[in-house]
Amino acid sequence: MRIPDEMRNILYGNYFGYVCTSDRHDQPHLTPVFFIYDENSQKLFFITNDTSKKVKNLSENPNISITIDIRDPVNPFNNEGVMAQGTATITDKAPIYFLSEETLQLYYDIYFEFKSKYQKVIENKPLGENDVIIQINIEKMVYWKGPHFKSLKFKKDDQILD
Amino acid sequence: MDKSTKKEMRWIYEEIVGRIPPFSYLPYQFSILLQLLLLLVIGIFLGFVFGLGKISLLYGSLAILVAVSWSLLILQLAPTLRKFRAPLSKDENELLERYKDILFHKNHYEAVPGLVIFIPFILYIFYFGMDLLDMWLGRSPNTILLLFVSLLIWDICYRMGLGLWTSVLALWRSVKLKKLAEKRTELEHTPYTELRYLQKLDINNVFFGLISLLLLPLFKIDNFLIAVIIFFMVFVTLTSLISAYIISKVPWLPPDIYNLVNESSFAYIGTSLKGKTHVTPVVYVFDGQKILFNTSKEAKKLKIMQKNNKVAFLIDKRDMSNIYENKAVLFTGEVKIYGIMDIPLRFIHMLKAISLFMKKYPEYTKKYSTSELPKAWQLTPIISRILVEVKPIKIIYWRGAKQISVPV
Repeated sequence: MRIPDEMRNILYGNYFGYVCTSDRHDQPHLTPVFFIYDENSQKLFFITNDTSKKVKNLSENPNISITIDIRDPVNPFNNEGVMAQGTATITDKAPIYFLSEETLQLYYDIYFEFKSKYQKVIENKPLGENDVIIQINIEKMVYWKGPHFKSLKFKKDDQILD
Repeated sequence: MDKSTKKEMRWIYEEIVGRIPPFSYLPYQFSILLQLLLLLVIGIFLGFVFGLGKISLLYGSLAILVAVSWSLLILQLAPTLRKFRAPLSKDENELLERYKDILFHKNHYEAVPGLVIFIPFILYIFYFGMDLLDMWLGRSPNTILLLFVSLLIWDICYRMGLGLWTSVLALWRSVKLKKLAEKRTELEHTPYTELRYLQKLDINNVFFGLISLLLLPLFKIDNFLIAVIIFFMVFVTLTSLISAYIISKVPWLPPDIYNLVNESSFAYIGTSLKGKTHVTPVVYVFDGQKILFNTSKEAKKLKIMQKNNKVAFLIDKRDMSNIYENKAVLFTGEVKIYGIMDIPLRFIHMLKAISLFMKKYPEYTKKYSTSELPKAWQLTPIISRILVEVKPIKIIYWRGAKQISVPV
């Protein structure tokens, strides 16, 4: 299944995503992230520090949502965006020679993708020691343009990790 | 906190009374109340011994009631100020420390206004106001009764003095704080909780002023003293109201965050229901104090917030050319959803919010008013677009790669 073009364009054409997680008391938390979308697996990825609040929340509650949008302060009809809801998988954190081959491959691919997308800002900064990759397994996606909405449900397939 | 640096924060009269048994066995606040209760019992006892009329007992009880109410209000000062966290601004911190120092000065200046009221008052009563003594105690009262009445008068005058002392100092502190707040830089501020504490103390003093009206029946035959009481009431009430108003205008956000919130056009609202999260962009307004966003009546997030009002609210400035200039602020806390029931009480407030929306998003207002939109989106203010206020409990601020937690 290929997602509709308008959703695809948003996911590929934007740099900032807003990730929402919540803790076991249902208190939400929100942060801006750099993200990439992988068309083949239809998953979203972002890199974060494993001491961050979102990782702490995700270990209590794997549900996650992310919004990526174009905002127009003048004309609300030009506002366009996507919200993806699903669950998150956090890559294992271990010294690099203990990681499984798939995880290593994922690190390599994701980092490469990130570098090509965010070349301007991350330059040659390597992954930090505490960085982990968060994979979003999308279950539902909502798209809006102005007042019009479109919603898409995803089949649950095998996850890449674990 | 270190015991030696911790301020005593006690007033002299309370201090002295607090050292006499049985008061010394009780916590500070209770000992004052016990003292007043004891006065009441002694008063009633004396009333029976000297055969006073019911009306005298009533007058005495009224005076004690006023003293008790005043004590209850004024004794909240020290514990409230003790909870006070230091403002994140050197100047504001110094000001509030000075305020506390003067309020509970080791030379006990707070007793001065009380004495200044007490001495002339006693002289007035015994030289010119014999009619009043007659009214309270009947003709040629016993010396013990006169002593007891003097003690009551002292209790009242001393607290009137404290009322003047605390309300004048409060006004001074509010005016100064407002001025210092205008010179803040970056992340300097006095947190929201502390500002609300100050405001609560001011509102206490407003009641303090109003309670003095209960004394009027005691002086009903003396127009001069009636005028004095009314002047006292107006003075304390007005001073405290002005002080509370000024405090309500002191920004609770540091300038960096204030400006970001003030200048940004969009925010993101994150909600969560049974663990499932939801995040969407919203338009919002900021009046310097309150952050309000609006949402369609049909929106999913509204339905979630009605079941769980905990939210995360993020405002950011994004710039791909220089990410070290990126700024974001995250408010986590609760929301208050404005409904029909809020219209009577908050009508002006809601109208103000709507006019802010029209000013900030003129095109939105125009576009939302067209009839080609789905019904839920059409702009019939208040009714179909719902006003929501963000009430933060925690603030996180990001500047470049730095993350700073800002106390609320």
